[in-house]
Amino acid sequence: MSRSYDRALTVFSPDGHLFQVEYANEAVRRGTCAVGVRGKDVVVLGVEKKSILQLQDPRTVRKVVMLDDHICLAFAGLTADGRVLIDKARIECQSHRLTVEDPVTVEYITRHIAGIQQVKEKSTIRYTQSGGVRPFGISTLIVGFDPHDTRPRLYMTEPSGIYSAWKANAIGRSSKTVREFLEKNHKDDLTRDETIKLTIKSLLEVVQTGAKNIEISVMESYGKITALDLSQIEAIVQEIEREKEAGKTLDVICWWKLLMMRLEAERKRSRLAATAAGQAAMASRAGDSAAASGET
Amino acid sequence: MECSFALTGKGYVLIAADTTAARSIVKMKADEDKIKSLGPHLLMAYSGEPGDTVQFAEYVERNIRLYQIRNLYPLRPASAASWVRRALADSLRSRSPYSVNLLLGGYDTATHAPSLYWIDYLGTQAEVPFACHGYGSYFALSLLDRYHDPEASLEEGLATLRRCIDEVAKRLVVAPGKYKVKVVDKDGVREIEL
Amino acid sequence: MARRYDSRTTIFSPEGRLYQIEYAMEAISHAGTVLGVLAKDGVVLAAEKKVTGKLLDMSGAKEGGYGGSGEKIFLLNSNVIAGVAGITADANSLVNYARTAAQRHLFTYNEDIPVEMLAQRLCDMKQGYTQYGGLRPFGVSLLYAGYDPHYEFQLYHSDPSGNYSGWKATCIGANNGTAQSLLKQEYKDDITVEEAIGLVLRVMSKTMDSTTLGSEKLEFAVLTLDQNTKRPKAKIYKPAEIDALLQQHDLGKKDDDAEMTGA
Repeated sequence: MSRSYDRALTVFSPDGHLFQVEYANEAVRRGTCAVGVRGKDVVVLGVEKKSILQLQDPRTVRKVVMLDDHICLAFAGLTADGRVLIDKARIECQSHRLTVEDPVTVEYITRHIAGIQQVKEKSTIRYTQSGGVRPFGISTLIVGFDPHDTRPRLYMTEPSGIYSAWKANAIGRSSKTVREFLEKNHKDDLTRDETIKLTIKSLLEVVQTGAKNIEISVMESYGKITALDLSQIEAIVQEIEREKEAGKTLDVICWWKLLMMRLEAERKRSRLAATAAGQAAMASRAGDSAAASGET
Repeated sequence: MECSFALTGKGYVLIAADTTAARSIVKMKADEDKIKSLGPHLLMAYSGEPGDTVQFAEYVERNIRLYQIRNLYPLRPASAASWVRRALADSLRSRSPYSVNLLLGGYDTATHAPSLYWIDYLGTQAEVPFACHGYGSYFALSLLDRYHDPEASLEEGLATLRRCIDEVAKRLVVAPGKYKVKVVDKDGVREIEL
Repeated sequence: MARRYDSRTTIFSPEGRLYQIEYAMEAISHAGTVLGVLAKDGVVLAAEKKVTGKLLDMSGAKEGGYGGSGEKIFLLNSNVIAGVAGITADANSLVNYARTAAQRHLFTYNEDIPVEMLAQRLCDMKQGYTQYGGLRPFGVSLLYAGYDPHYEFQLYHSDPSGNYSGWKATCIGANNGTAQSLLKQEYKDDITVEEAIGLVLRVMSKTMDSTTLGSEKLEFAVLTLDQNTKRPKAKIYKPAEIDALLQQHDLGKKDDDAEMTGA
């Protein structure tokens, strides 16, 4: 009987797992990596681009898409699922504008998307008998600015229907490595350039092939979004590499200095010890007279 | 009473609409914008039943925007006009039809040609070189017949438009006082002073 | 153990894979080859028919309405033709759906459906069948060759998962790997339709099992722009036209008598 626990979404396994959701997370982990980083007043999305085959049309490979003028989304996982979910989100963005005459907030559309991902589980109650519905095999990073607000926003949704706000996060292949890198290196109030650099730096943790497999979108204020072109990304990648090299030579210099200092210290210490010993010897000799004179 | 005019010229479409919001015989407002920009190269002037106009215009605006955001390119003017006409025709056959008259002007970036569509609340659609809605049409159409030139520069087009507006002001008992004028061409959509 | 997860399409395996989709793709890789090449002034499609039996009556197809046998290459709309590889019954149902979608677009917008949008419509449907209700996915890959004013000539490929992508030249079905690498070697960016026709026939003759090409094994179609009307013109070749084309490119069956005299 244990066989059925991981097939239906609505059934918990004896140890409390919803297996289909966990397997959907695996599908996400098989997808290419995407990173989102929030700065002081920008938010940057970076994605790993799979190398395009020679005869393929690059236009049709899209991993970062606009949901509305002010909201941008990147996903990792099953592309077809992503396309369908994005379409639903885009409809909601316009529908929201029509009903309340205001653009959606980033949190609103995130909640909506997470809701769609989660509803799939609920509706399973109806579908279980007829064969089950699988969850969407994607995680998303959603960035943007709320209307009349200058604070950049970054959210993530997962196959389970969870959504959460982040300063910086990664989804997809090797996202754990990237997240750990971000945890170590992210600071509050990053400038525009620092944010872009950190995004690229973190992506380089998993993208070995460099700039040509990286795509960067920068959102600077409400509705102002730019995609960096290859030469700009290349320049930053080179800068990062230069810094790394410089870091290495710097390390060598430091190590050398340290060594010299230590040697110096050692020498000083032995010199001091020698003099101290000499002094002690002299003192012990003088001690006799000192003791006589009442000095301690 | 509501008046709207539109005419094509060399590489542009000019659209003018009065700015009065009236109820019965009372003017409620004199700076109402009745021309919506539906995309980077598409304008729509609307008139008719006051509540319906705005409701329908916003519905059109959002749907055309949705098309653009989904497909990364905007609907071409001819297709947009067909969609709007279809929406009106379907509404006419529903329980609560919209009573809205439209002038749709656009610049097709694929063919580099301006185009103008006249659509009424019955879902009639025609591609025309110039068009009017409202009482103004009784005075303006003959002038446009005489003075319209599809090769006219923007200044010449504006001069023709001014003739129409002046004539309406002179002859129509309930002529509106102010107009808003917008133009769409290869550079997009913008408002201009008459 | 894998059997636990591969019986139904709608569930993930522990590695996050959807086996039914992968199996469907596997089935397609044995189906008759379909090849497409995008040229600067047109798109060319060719498909290999698996001959089912000598007694199959093909006379209807020979006089058929718009040409073609209606087995591998279809006219989806006046501006789009498609080649299918996979389960024929599924393909028929998808072609039907595509034609309806194209007409619906014509009805609402009074314009031919943009090629990418048509591919998207089909892919949304295909995606749905990988997610809902315990159904199996469509066992069909398609190549779409089309024209619209937005991106002009285009070539797309869609697979059972509901993914699609644009190509300059690509191939689905049996021997697609060989065909791909041949295309990669020989494709040039500013290729003309005439050159593309030659390229397609050359590649087809190398990838197909049989030694000689003939209309009973090959379907062929070209989409170009009509110089007078500036509207897309789809031409699906009739069997006689295919044979003529093959002769013209020295790939057709040699006349037995001619060979005798030659020898």
